[in-house]
Order: sequence, then structure tokens, then C-alpha cells
Amino acid sequence: MNQILLPQSAIESPHHSHLEGVGSSVSAALSYAIHLRGVTKTYQETGFNLRNVNFVVKQGDFLFITGPSGSGKSTLMKLVYGAERPDFGEVRVGGQNVANLSGNRLSMLRRRLGVVFQDYKLIPRWTIAENVAFVLRSQGVPQDEIQRRLAPTLKLVGLQNKADCFPTQLSGGEQQRASIARAIVGSPRLLLADEPTGNLDQDNSLQVLSILKKLNSLGITVVVTTHDLHLIRMGKAPVAKLQDGQLKMVAPTETERMETEQ
Amino acid sequence: MRSPNFIPSFSLKVALTQLKYLLQETLRGLRRGGWMNWAAISTVTVLLFLFGISLQTSWQVNGLLNKMGSQLEISVYLKPNLSGDTLKDKFGQLPNVASVQVIPRDDAWKKLLSDLDATDLQGATDALGQNPLVDALKVQSLSVEKVPRLAQVLTSFPEVDHVSYLNEVMQNLLHLNRGITQMGWFVIGLLTLTALAVINTTIRLIVVTRHQEIEVMQLVGATKTWIYLPFLLQGVALGLLGGGIAIGFIAAARQFMHQMLIAQPTFLKSLAQGLQLSPLQAILLPLTLMVFGSFIGLTGSFLAVRRFIVR
Repeated sequence: MNQILLPQSAIESPHHSHLEGVGSSVSAALSYAIHLRGVTKTYQETGFNLRNVNFVVKQGDFLFITGPSGSGKSTLMKLVYGAERPDFGEVRVGGQNVANLSGNRLSMLRRRLGVVFQDYKLIPRWTIAENVAFVLRSQGVPQDEIQRRLAPTLKLVGLQNKADCFPTQLSGGEQQRASIARAIVGSPRLLLADEPTGNLDQDNSLQVLSILKKLNSLGITVVVTTHDLHLIRMGKAPVAKLQDGQLKMVAPTETERMETEQ
Repeated sequence: MRSPNFIPSFSLKVALTQLKYLLQETLRGLRRGGWMNWAAISTVTVLLFLFGISLQTSWQVNGLLNKMGSQLEISVYLKPNLSGDTLKDKFGQLPNVASVQVIPRDDAWKKLLSDLDATDLQGATDALGQNPLVDALKVQSLSVEKVPRLAQVLTSFPEVDHVSYLNEVMQNLLHLNRGITQMGWFVIGLLTLTALAVINTTIRLIVVTRHQEIEVMQLVGATKTWIYLPFLLQGVALGLLGGGIAIGFIAAARQFMHQMLIAQPTFLKSLAQGLQLSPLQAILLPLTLMVFGSFIGLTGSFLAVRRFIVR
């Protein structure tokens, strides 16, 4: 089992990610946004693997997951939103084992998640409003309800004046904010952001971070994978590091040391 | 934040929203298909046109046979100047005979002239010198199988000049019909496979061009039914469009044939009437084509998205 180092700040924080096990109860398990238990995932071709990972993210947490390229950060995210299945172990999201879900049950779980990608995954032929509304349209939400949700969501990410623009007319930062709007328009409890600032300059990265923090303050659990240590430092949130198939919490001093090295 | 997820409740409003979405997605997909749509529609059109023509011909041949008379009836034509009444009882006592009806030569002559639209009975008779017909008897057999044997027995009577029964005509027509039908089914079978392949390819191409949207839909929790139902509807739409065009072509061909025959002499004109479809068949033919077209479209598109649905 992995040894997860728990930073003091995380222990003091009312929202914190921590080692699974001690004093766990059913009510605690249900309060976990994400619960990884003995998760192993191996890729023969690349040699990459996750080995017996145990980890929890509690409701309302904000967590960074960092690690070198190819360490498995994106795969970890995919395991959480059900695009990949573990070879062994359990990935529980809101108490449900994702590995056991398929078809409509997996779709229903995904409606409770928001996912933000490095490459935004916006449909270029559609306006920003259409891209964001698409989530609700795909779920069969009536048009008036879509209209009701659209404006405040775009306002939250500062794109209220860009609703009718196409993605190519927007900067990278704006596109990423549109992608965040799309991820949260369905009012998810958990937001997964996979390298959300990977293609952005520092100013835009900080804007994105600020939005993610704001969403977290509204009660949404946010998990961000990144290798941008400056972003992590600015985020002032617990950090877990994925390296050699192991996921470990990192102390703040360790984060500063990593940034100096970088 | 509001409730974590929108749970659609069943209401007319939601149902209408969903229906509107499905129709919009179907149209969006069809627009994406471009020229491939026309390849699919034209293949379905050719297939359904041939299928429709084949079905129509089969119905028309049956109609024609029914119009021409009972399959159980044998017409017995007597030698000149013999009276049918003298033979009526004799024929009625033969085995396998259900009934016998005498057609006097004068009645037959009147009917013929009427069929030929000749109203001046006396004039026509005078022109030929006399009524050229002979007395005839309509002998009904108890079963179709006994008709040829009974015809043979009737021929053996010295008073009988010759007999004719529908089986002869029918056999020829049925042979012709069967030949056409068999060839038709072979061609229809081949075309069905071609149409399935073309619709399959068309829908698959549309799926490929929309893979980004599909990926996003999957990630935001759209169900497989919600994602792939529009593709199945696109297949059905291609089938229905092909069916509609085929129905138009068949109606035009029928009209053309009718116009051609109606301008011909009386016998062919009466043939044109025999080729008319009954009111039921006139509804059944387009309905069958639409159902078959939808089925081909649905099957072709299902084959295209099957691997995505079942995985």
C-alpha cells in the first residue's frame, strides 16, 4: 500500500484529501467525492502503470495532482470519469464504483461530474453559447431551462459578452474558460480539470485558477492535474504527486523545493 | 449552486423538447452526409422501384386472371347448328361436374358486339350474313385439379367442336409471372444488400464527421440512445425518401402505361382496366414501400452504429 504523506495544512483544513483507512465509517465513505482503493492500471505498450493506489478526495476539497509527463495523471482522471477501467481495485465517485458502471448508469454518473481538458474540446462550428448549452441539450433539458442556466454560467467565467463568438475567435484562455463553463453548466458536485492551463500563458492560467477556486468556494470539489508548479504555489491547496505508479501527498515545503528545482 | 443534476421528469414539455432535439439532430446529420445521402437515396429508390413494380405486376396478373373468369370453368363450344340445351343434362351427369350453363349463340353474339362497342346488332349480323358463333356451355368443375381431365372427357363428345379452360391461359401467365418474380427477387436481393451497404457507409461517414461531438456527448453524460438514435432516424429518413421517390416513379409509370393502353383498340383498353389496382392495393403498395424503405434504412444505420451501441 502506498505511503501517503499528509501535509499539516491539509490536516488543519476543513476540506482535505487524506490516506484512506483510519477511523473510516459508512458516513465518511459517502462524504468522499473520490475514493481509490487498491487501484492498479498497467499499460504493457508504454510500461506506464499505477500500482495499488489508495486515495480519497473529500467533498468540497481542492486538490492538485502533479507529476512528470507520462506519470499517469490523465489516466487517473479517466479512471475517475469512467473512460478507463482499473485492472484491479475500486474507483468510487460519490459512493459508486465507476468500474461497475456502464451504459446509462455511467452516463448518469457523468452528469454529476464536470471535466475540463487541456485541449478544451470545443466544437469549432458552434458558438460558445451552443457549446455550453450542448451539455444540457444532450441530457434532454428543456430549452427554457437551458436559457435560464446559460447566462449566469457564462457570467461566472467572464464570457457573457462572447456567447455568440465561435471558439476560433477566442483566445486560448477564453476557450478554456468556455470549456469550464461547459463543465459546470450541469451543476456538477465534482470538477475534474486535466492540465487546464497546459496551453495557456501565466496570466490566463491564473484567471483559470481563480475561476476554479471560486467554484470550489461554492462547494464544488475540484481536482486539477498540472505540472505547472507556479500554478500550484498560487493555488495554495493540497498537492498530491504521482510518480512511479504511486500517489503521495506532498508537503508545502516539498512543493517549494520542486519549484526551485524546476 | 442548484441541484447537482437535472433529472428529466416525464411531461409533455420534456417529450416535445426531446422530440425536437432528435429531429434537429437527424437533420443536422443528414446535412453532414452531403452527396453520400444521394447515393443512399438513389440506391433505395432503384431497389424500391423494382420491388414495387414487381409487387404491382404480381397483383395485376392475379387481377387479370380473376377478371378473365373462374379457374374452375370450362368453355365447351359445340359444332355449328347444334343446340346447347340438348347436352346440358348429359354434361351435368358427368363426374366432377358442379354445374352446367348454356350460352346460346345469340346471347354470345350480343355480348361480343357489346364488348366491341358495336351497338348496331342487326347491321353487324347483316354484314356477316349471319351470327358466326356457335352455342357454348360453361361447365364448372368441382376442383381445379380435375379441370384438365374433365376437359378431355368433354372433348371426346362428337357434338363438341373444342373446349377451352382458363388453366391453359393461366399456366402460361403464371409461368411468365413466376419467371419475372424469380428474377425480380434475385435483383431485389442484390439491391437490398447494396442499399444496406451504401446506407451503412453513409451513416458511418456521418458518425466519423461528428466524432468530436459524440466524444463530448459521452463525456457530459448523454446516454447511448440519445447519441445514436438520431443516426438510426437518419437511416430511416434515407429509406423513406427513397421510398417516396420510388412511389412517385411507379405512379408515373402506371399512369404512362394506362395512357398508352387507353388509346389502343377496345381489347387492349379492357386490358388497361384489368391492370388497375384495387383501392386496397393502391394504399397497400405505397405503404409496403415506405415500410420496406424504413426497414432497409434502419437496418443499414443500425449496422453502422451497432459496434458503438453494444460496446
